[in-house]
Amino acid sequence: MRVYLDYQAAKPVDPRVFEAMKPYFTKEFGNPSSLHNYGYNATNSLEEARLKIAEFINAPSSDNIIFTSGATESNNLGIIGAAIRNRRKGNHIIISEIEHISILNIGKYLEREGYRVSRVPVDRFGIINLGKLERLISDETILISISTASNEIGSLQPVEEIAELTQKKSIWFHSDAVASESTIPIDVQRVPFDLLTLSSNDIYGPKGVGALYLKKGVRVNPVIIGGGQENGMRSGSENMPGIIGFAKAAEIMKAEINEEAARLKILRDKLIREVLKIPKSYLNGHPEKRTPHNANFRFDYIEGESLLLSLKDEKLEVATGSACSSKTLEPSHTLISCGLLHEEAHGSLLLTLGRFTTEEDINKIIEVLPGIVRKLRILSPLTPSDLLKKLKEEDK
Amino acid sequence: MSVHKYTDKVMDHFRNPRNVGSIENPDGYGKVGNPVCGDLMEIFIKVGKNDKGEDIIDDIKFRTFGCGSAVSTSSMVTEMAKGMTLDEAYNITRSDVADELDGLPPIKMHCSNLAADALKAAINNYREGTKPEVEIVTSCQLEVRVILGVDEFKGKGVYLEIPDLEQLREKRTLIVDTGDNSLELALKLTEYTGRVIVVTSAKEIPGTIEIAKKLKQSDVKILQQSELNEIKGELNEVEKVVIHDFDEDENYELFVDAIIILDYRG
Repeated sequence: MRVYLDYQAAKPVDPRVFEAMKPYFTKEFGNPSSLHNYGYNATNSLEEARLKIAEFINAPSSDNIIFTSGATESNNLGIIGAAIRNRRKGNHIIISEIEHISILNIGKYLEREGYRVSRVPVDRFGIINLGKLERLISDETILISISTASNEIGSLQPVEEIAELTQKKSIWFHSDAVASESTIPIDVQRVPFDLLTLSSNDIYGPKGVGALYLKKGVRVNPVIIGGGQENGMRSGSENMPGIIGFAKAAEIMKAEINEEAARLKILRDKLIREVLKIPKSYLNGHPEKRTPHNANFRFDYIEGESLLLSLKDEKLEVATGSACSSKTLEPSHTLISCGLLHEEAHGSLLLTLGRFTTEEDINKIIEVLPGIVRKLRILSPLTPSDLLKKLKEEDK
Repeated sequence: MSVHKYTDKVMDHFRNPRNVGSIENPDGYGKVGNPVCGDLMEIFIKVGKNDKGEDIIDDIKFRTFGCGSAVSTSSMVTEMAKGMTLDEAYNITRSDVADELDGLPPIKMHCSNLAADALKAAINNYREGTKPEVEIVTSCQLEVRVILGVDEFKGKGVYLEIPDLEQLREKRTLIVDTGDNSLELALKLTEYTGRVIVVTSAKEIPGTIEIAKKLKQSDVKILQQSELNEIKGELNEVEKVVIHDFDEDENYELFVDAIIILDYRG
């Protein structure tokens, strides 16, 4: 059996979700825009699904939910759509240094289009500097986009304080909730987000579907133009099987999230406790203020891709912030923003737990990791000579 | 390029690397790459003679910090070179190494295929008898040069005297090595924050034997053969520093919250 500990990258669809989707491929194939019976049924299913997503985040009405093709599109629609809509009010947008790559690149795109984009720095735990955020706000600021949590190191951002600030200053607050969606309940009436990005796959629904929540009174300009679906803000025939699956996943998640998060936190805490027994190993991110399913480590003197390959040989599927496993050959921007040196960022190991992670999975990685780290350190020219001697003795 | 595109041969050399380790008193030593980029390789050679009296590689060892292909190419080049004459070994190219491994993913051809270069460096070191690394003055003799941004950020994250350490709780703090006082401060500061970095021009861990030993055991991160060039930040607050690495002759940025420079005469 292979052990999968990369739930942040992709999650399996829950079998209950898959069952709910099946009829919508062959029998219930109607287009909600059609007026015949198939279309009528589709409209009903679509609106039921929309209501379930609204309930998942405790939105007052399903009118606040727009379906999209996933979190990246929701981020594009939320940020670019809001920027264009408010162009006359101002041209300044604030994001953070550790946003998901889609938001960082949207920031660069908007800069090329003449907007000013500020990036609020984070502390060594990857949590944004709230005071700095407040000082960055100007009369021109129209939107702040800060994720609920980091997808890499799990650091929880002070979204309540940010929302309080943006309300006071009449600035829209967009947040990408994907990294915390499966383990931390969202209540948009308690934390008054203006725009919120949701993903289906991150709560064990199918890939290729997501949503953007808009608070009452918030409207964005569309980025996909067409037949005017989704209240004119997102055209294109609705992905019905995907949306049905997303809604089922949200329904299950709402019922099980607290229990699931508590279970994962126990496993994750055990993982952190055991892994940190390896000498010169460190936890990236905050020790407590982090999503309960995330653990991100680094090990001095070794490189992440080598670690990943060695774990793969032991049937453990993990992720790393190493450049060598990325398309750009740049190390993780999140770890660099936390103040790590490049060679430290290259040595990171990202482990994310999920619904189907078992205690045996955690025991397995705890068992094999120390030996692999030792082997790679013996191989490394960065290992200091006294440690090397000790490792070689242990290895015998 | 995704990792599963490696050939079986690459994976074999990654899993069972040949000739790992170092040679004491090597005849030639070569070091290439840069841990900042994610790859660093060292090759050690022992030179002997064949029946014709030509120089050959009698023994060869390597150590590598890097990704899968960096380890495999290092291992492969040592296997290829062992027993070759120096001329033959010198002519091994990156693509020879890649070919022997049945190919590398294109994105890995340049970034982590430095093994042939490390071997050349070791042979050059043997032939020219040059020291493989250049000594750099130890920190005690060093005066802190002008650092851009010190005046601008003084009192806003830059401290020229020992500050109240409580202020630095959980702050990423960079200390410029200006002698034992600064190093003792670094050690003390680890009780207040998990991130203490010392930048020193020294090549080894700096300080007296006792301090150096404590530093080694501590979580203080030491940037050797480096200096602080510039302090940067927006809205009058320190955000990051530019560090110059003498060994690699390059600059890089590092996010920090506070900087301590005792005895600054800039």
